[in-house]
Amino acid sequence: MVKELEKAGFPVAHMCNLVPVSQSVGANRIVPTISIPYPLGDPSTPPAEQWKLRYHRVGVALEALATNIEQQTIFPVRI
Amino acid sequence: MKTVVCYINQFFAGIGGEEKAYQEPYIQEGCVGPVQAIQAALEDAQVTHTLVCGDNYMGSDTEKAVARILELLEGHVPDLFIAGPAFQAGRYGLACGTICQAVQEKFSIPALTSMHPENPGVEMFRQKVIIFQGGKGAVKMRADVQTMIRFANKLLSGQPNEGAEAEGYFPRGCRHEKFLEDKRENTAAYRGVQMLIRKMHGQPYRTELAIPAPEQVPIAPAVSDLSHAVVAMVTSGGIVPSDNPDRIQSASATRWGRYDISGMERLEAGVFKTIHAGFDPTAANADPNVVVPLDAMRAYEKEGKIGRLHPYFYSTVGTGTTEAEARRMAQEIIPHLVADGVTAVILGST
Amino acid sequence: MKLKIGSFPVEQVRFGEVDGYQDGILTIQKEAALAYLRECDDHITELDIIIANPGDDTRIVPVIETIEPRCRTDGRTLFPGVTGPVASAGEGELKALRGCCVTVVGKYWGSFGDGVIDMGGEGARHTHWSKLINICLVGDTDEEFERHEQQKCNHALRWAGHRFAEYLGKIVRELEPLQLEEYDFTPVSEKARQNNGLPNVALVLQPQSQMEIPGYNDLWYGWDLNKFLPTFVSPTEVMDGAMISGSFMPASSKWSTYEMQNFPTIRELFAEDGKHLNFVGVILSMLNVAMDQKERAAMMVVNLAKNLGVDYAIVTEEGYGNPDADYVRCQAVLEQAGIGVVGISNECTGRDGFSQPLMTLDSRLNALVSTGNVSELNHLPPCKTVIGNLEALNRDGMSGSWGYDDKLGKSAREDGSVIMEDNNWFCGDHISGLSLKTMAEF
Repeated sequence: MVKELEKAGFPVAHMCNLVPVSQSVGANRIVPTISIPYPLGDPSTPPAEQWKLRYHRVGVALEALATNIEQQTIFPVRI
Repeated sequence: MKTVVCYINQFFAGIGGEEKAYQEPYIQEGCVGPVQAIQAALEDAQVTHTLVCGDNYMGSDTEKAVARILELLEGHVPDLFIAGPAFQAGRYGLACGTICQAVQEKFSIPALTSMHPENPGVEMFRQKVIIFQGGKGAVKMRADVQTMIRFANKLLSGQPNEGAEAEGYFPRGCRHEKFLEDKRENTAAYRGVQMLIRKMHGQPYRTELAIPAPEQVPIAPAVSDLSHAVVAMVTSGGIVPSDNPDRIQSASATRWGRYDISGMERLEAGVFKTIHAGFDPTAANADPNVVVPLDAMRAYEKEGKIGRLHPYFYSTVGTGTTEAEARRMAQEIIPHLVADGVTAVILGST
Repeated sequence: MKLKIGSFPVEQVRFGEVDGYQDGILTIQKEAALAYLRECDDHITELDIIIANPGDDTRIVPVIETIEPRCRTDGRTLFPGVTGPVASAGEGELKALRGCCVTVVGKYWGSFGDGVIDMGGEGARHTHWSKLINICLVGDTDEEFERHEQQKCNHALRWAGHRFAEYLGKIVRELEPLQLEEYDFTPVSEKARQNNGLPNVALVLQPQSQMEIPGYNDLWYGWDLNKFLPTFVSPTEVMDGAMISGSFMPASSKWSTYEMQNFPTIRELFAEDGKHLNFVGVILSMLNVAMDQKERAAMMVVNLAKNLGVDYAIVTEEGYGNPDADYVRCQAVLEQAGIGVVGISNECTGRDGFSQPLMTLDSRLNALVSTGNVSELNHLPPCKTVIGNLEALNRDGMSGSWGYDDKLGKSAREDGSVIMEDNNWFCGDHISGLSLKTMAEF
């Protein structure tokens, strides 16, 4: 999917936990998430923590969309 | 009796060499030139027609040539289409590949050809068309026809395909399972341990899965001004309205859904859920925003960091879904994105 | 650690007045067995035993588990931490009924991880189980909380199966076996002293443990492998009931408890031990879902291997898809550390055969054994007898079948014929090493 969307000219931020999978399907802008069943919010943490994490990582993804890159890039996340 | 139509170029049709390379396509009943060898090798099938076309005409005016050939075939659609053998002749190889692919797609019938490994037609068409490994030149005609027609006979009589290597055609990147005879030496356990022993001793062994080189995707340019961007969310995490209105499968999905989120600040539990069977759904069902982060996107929309959020999100299930299906689904989604002026996509995978 | 397994070949299973084994005939006093199993667990609401023989025109679905009937001669529970208290496994003597298996079947309801066995016809070649006499334990329970869930723990029925396997095994407890197998695992340091110049080989097992909530994963002495880190274990522990299969993962990619008890790749490594290689044991890892968990597991496997002096390894995973990331990563870092690897697993190339075979790829993997394609489509004629419930194929979210498809229709049709993916064959890709399938270019 990511390949087709990029081919159609849309920059795609791929938010996923399994970075190697993302790399092998050819995603160019990769933003790591924390797990597969709950990519953007660990249910064992308070809702405020989950929100902080989600807000941060979605923000990184949006920045990634506005960043010109030369090669497949994994965008670092703080939380 | 099953029927076959063959395709050859001007040279093999005996009408001329370079000077006839711009020959327009024509069709003739029965066998022409080397097609007689094909007919002789066929067990229970009749070559009804031979198509002839000049290599340069096919190469330079491809669209017209293909359209004309498909037109000539109407009314004579066979059970099997055979082009060549093309040996090492580059233009002829490209012509054979082109016409085999077109015939397959248009009439949904199998098409075969044969080329030398160095023919550029091999690299261009091997994934789309069954191309038999052939010799350098016409002295190999007999052998190349034999190999190709052995397979044609199987195909026409419904016998099983033994695989690319056994049949003698170039691998297409199409992998299927194969059963081995029931004995200890054929079990995966035995094969694995023996492969390891050969690897240890530096002896030759054959991996059953050769890892192909990764495919590079051209990088789409960044959005120039995020504050005017229209961003869409796509997920392979199977988030759908609770009644799964599009009946998206929980694995090996072939369907996708498009769900209206205008006016919503977040995805509410109970209203949306995941139908993805590849992971523990508890967390995603309790708060679907952990998979499709609508709440965070709305926050950025309010802040003016992005122009606006596309009013739908798109959902399917990633597990076990073939690349071909994923490609098709993406192609079906794209027009919706284009229509709303979407400029960037956040794709979430689980 | 020395493990002895006394074999009792079973050629016929029948019901009778008294339990017994003679001349290859296993007799089960059915009502007594059922009464025992019901008494052990009052969640069981319905239970029956049905025999299915190789070649029968019989389809079994939904299959939850297969187990080899066995007992310990010293009276230790067969599956420590599961059918009884936690106790050490790996040494001592087992007696095993060979040529048969306990097959646990849902009478009405199936789940994502359950599968199909065809005893005869075209479908028979898809599983090893069709070669065995299936002593089917068919039942239902009052586990209402998961009745309509796609993922089920199937606790009551699975545990009944393990208990039944031990119950049957005890029939031969006092009898002399026809054949005795010995698996003698020499301590690693002792092997080093012998210094026979052969390369040291370890087997890395990645059993299924992806569910975060307890009740679905494979167990190690009753411990959920999701909460686990790679450990060095004796291969004889695996064969002696320390590990049981879980209920999660598409059926064809699973290792059933029967396969763990007889782990074919362990047996083949024992067969070469001291000849071409030193089998220095099993590194037991797991398959968790998050990237950091995968990375941690791979690192620990490599360090265990380095510190054990492992020269070569075989890596095998119980699953496909997400677990491929663990499978590929583990092999890549082992190769990077100079430890040559062979991997054994299945592929997912799609119905058309053109999809990427593993979810992640790494060019350092250069020796792989392929055991099948989970997405091959099967068209199966009706069978005269169905043990279980065919409707489970349509209704219960089994991994290789469906209740609705625009083009293909539903999986189980009114006439009893079936269309389904390989995913649904119970342990059909036999990644544990039984597989007679490979993959080829077509």
